[in-house]
Amino acid sequence: MQPAIISELITIVGKENVYTSFEDLFCYTYDASFVPVSAENVPGAAVYPGSAGEVAEVLKLAYREKIPVIPRGAGTNVSGGTLPARDCIVMVLTRMNRILEIDQANLIAVVEPGVVTAHLQREVEKLGLFYPPDPASQAYSTLGGNVAECAGGPRGVKYGVTKDYVLGLEVVLPTGEIMETGGRTVKNVAGYDLTKLFTGSEGTLGVITRITLKLLPLPEAKKTLLVVFDQIEQAAEAVSGIIAGGIIPTTLELLDNVYIRNIEEYAKVGFPVEAEAVLLIEVDGDSEVIDKEARKIKTICEELGAVQVRVANTKEEAEELWRARRSAFAAVARINPTIIGEDVTVPRTNIPAMVKEIQAIARKYSVIIAVVGHAGDGNLHATFLCDERNEEEMNRVEQAVKEVLAAALRLGGTLTGEHGIGRMKAKFLPDQLGNVSYQVMKSIKQALDPAGILNPGVMFKE
Amino acid sequence: MQGFDFKDWEKEAVKCIRCGACQTVCPVYQHLKAESTVARGKVRLIRAAIKDQIPLTEGFAQRMSWCLNCKACINACPSGVKTDRLVEAARTELARRRGLTPVEKAAFRGLLKNSRLLHLVLRAASGIQGLFFRPGPGGNGVLPKLPVGLDSRRLVQPLARTSFRSRPVKMAPAKTKGKVAFFTGCLINYGYPQVGQAVVEVLAKNGYQVVLPPQHCCGTPVRVGGDRETAVEIAKFNLDALADLQVEAVITACASCGLALKNTYQDLAAELPLYQKKALRLGGMVKDISEFIAGLPGWQEGMGHLPSRVTYHDPCHLARGMGISRPPREILQGIPGMSLVEMAKPDRCCGGAGSFSLIHYSLSLDIGREKALDIRQTGAAVVAAGCPGCMMHINDALYQSGVPAQVRHPAELLAEAYRAGLREKKGTEAG
Repeated sequence: MQPAIISELITIVGKENVYTSFEDLFCYTYDASFVPVSAENVPGAAVYPGSAGEVAEVLKLAYREKIPVIPRGAGTNVSGGTLPARDCIVMVLTRMNRILEIDQANLIAVVEPGVVTAHLQREVEKLGLFYPPDPASQAYSTLGGNVAECAGGPRGVKYGVTKDYVLGLEVVLPTGEIMETGGRTVKNVAGYDLTKLFTGSEGTLGVITRITLKLLPLPEAKKTLLVVFDQIEQAAEAVSGIIAGGIIPTTLELLDNVYIRNIEEYAKVGFPVEAEAVLLIEVDGDSEVIDKEARKIKTICEELGAVQVRVANTKEEAEELWRARRSAFAAVARINPTIIGEDVTVPRTNIPAMVKEIQAIARKYSVIIAVVGHAGDGNLHATFLCDERNEEEMNRVEQAVKEVLAAALRLGGTLTGEHGIGRMKAKFLPDQLGNVSYQVMKSIKQALDPAGILNPGVMFKE
Repeated sequence: MQGFDFKDWEKEAVKCIRCGACQTVCPVYQHLKAESTVARGKVRLIRAAIKDQIPLTEGFAQRMSWCLNCKACINACPSGVKTDRLVEAARTELARRRGLTPVEKAAFRGLLKNSRLLHLVLRAASGIQGLFFRPGPGGNGVLPKLPVGLDSRRLVQPLARTSFRSRPVKMAPAKTKGKVAFFTGCLINYGYPQVGQAVVEVLAKNGYQVVLPPQHCCGTPVRVGGDRETAVEIAKFNLDALADLQVEAVITACASCGLALKNTYQDLAAELPLYQKKALRLGGMVKDISEFIAGLPGWQEGMGHLPSRVTYHDPCHLARGMGISRPPREILQGIPGMSLVEMAKPDRCCGGAGSFSLIHYSLSLDIGREKALDIRQTGAAVVAAGCPGCMMHINDALYQSGVPAQVRHPAELLAEAYRAGLREKKGTEAG
């Protein structure tokens, strides 16, 4: 990067907030997605702005000089959403990490984009409030990143995803103009819903600098159940049965046989190793109501042939049930070092069909795929367990991923439920959208980012 | 170099799935902000270096030096990537390719490898330290007054006029129940002889005769500094001296020494079958003083009252390294009149980290100040820590932050409680 540009960046954000040494820059060449180690595409500078004004100044400079800008939070996305282009500017928003306001009367929080999700959750919970979206990375991901990716999580089945909680945004456009969307009210239909447009825009349309979030009252209590089924179809029927029975659980996590066997081997939690599915179910709300709901869920599962139903009556017992779920990752990580988590999503009644498809694809390409899913909302994480150093195996994995994506579309689903398109799935996007919808999206991008400087390569293949 | 090939570490580095969980716990990253300073970044750099995709530059060496070896990232990592070992491997490779600096060479190969020379130099230094240091506030530690390679702000522990191991009077138990060896480590021997004395006292009180076998530095500063070759030599000396002793246990009171003797010698001796056996045997014999005492029947007997409010800091190498966090608390809670108040994040690194605080004093102090604030929040008058390295750094951080708490080793507090017990008994008999 030209020294003149770097000194302009330094003028804007201060010397201590601009990184230019090779070793520092090399560490922005990755995010949590799977990419082989490479010293290519090293950015030209990493800047840490401290305000919307500074973000705007950096973008004006980048717009003038046609330098690509990659906005970045904690770099925890798994879609390749923050992989840099050679000599670009990586804009890291973690310095803007203040909770500006928690308004109990209006159930609103206003935050800067660098606030860590779990931090906000802890702070609002102290006041008896609740911010439900719970991506697996919530302990370290930032809210700016959550909004940009429209992050989901296990609680999606009952509480929805990030977009269901974003009321308003402050956004800096690629030209450096600062814009507000939405507001502080749940009802608001003035003009197009730009808040929803920017939520999930994956850093391609603007840089989010302030977020107004909707909060809920914190549910009084939770109850956890763990149910084991011989057949995955029974588990799927149980999911439909529970919802038909008028209960929407907070989480409905499904683990397949690959997980069951490995968790049992690793953590000895008492799973029958032949079982095809385990459901981890949590309900929350008024403590008397959830006791009743837990009993009803137990009955429904038993009627549908569950071989084991465990209900946690104390916090410790619930912990024990969650131990199984939490050890899932470490249990499969023993098998192979590289773990690629896909997130195709299908209508929930198609879960058994999708799981069978995944199993067939795994056999066809001799790859190991473990499935953990948010069964309540049809979101399945097909987890490829492989070794990135084995080129031949990685080719098979790539083919298998393609077939999994195609199968999800055939079953009426989507390429991605909560991870985003990013760079990893950009070439598949037209397959799902069809040409018209794809072109409309491209026109929006063109209108807002005429120079194409913001996160190029994400969403639309270059 | 025997038993070391940088390339072997790729299989550990490849386990990092770059999820970013380490960002929540790394104290260095929380201050420096750059991705290259968190475990994920360092592991990525190391992996690229192993694959020869990036050169081992000065910048690379600096990123590798920004690690406290506190192991917090390992606990937070879903794949359990051993970043501590990877950073150590990178430092070893750096030393192999670029050589050690003259200062490192003198320290590692001259002094720490040669216990007699170290002893002579430090004994001489203790006599003339008044020329270079002035007493700290209220007789607490010393502050540099001339440039001696230490940051001039820094409050350090003075060198003991007579090292612990050269002192004639130890203490013998009234009734002998058994025999243990005590590996003092350098910091207790030269800086905190009173901790050594307390260890011997509490062991004697519980019926143990204590032997002090010949011993070198445990080798930790040398090993984490990248001089594996010297670390292996030091490990061999200590293994010869300790592993065949006919004792019930080898007691340590310094977390880093304990971890070295208990675990890391097994790795250092991996290529030497004879020493590997000794390292395994020694590993089974090593007990931290708090672990050993809290496991004895009747250790609570004979304690007097020590009315005080105390908080406990978990040394990284004790809590995460040796898995010991309950025994020191049991001891503190067992002392009559003492109330233990937990600080926020008691197992967060104090920032001392041995030679880290020499190379990066300002950063080390910034991390220490957070610890000092957490201690202040508890309102405790005493902070206990089972490692002399932490004790020295926390003492400095408290002083720099104006927090008037005292730093003590749990063994010192226990010894004091036993002494108070004796006084109370005498008082009763006299009365």
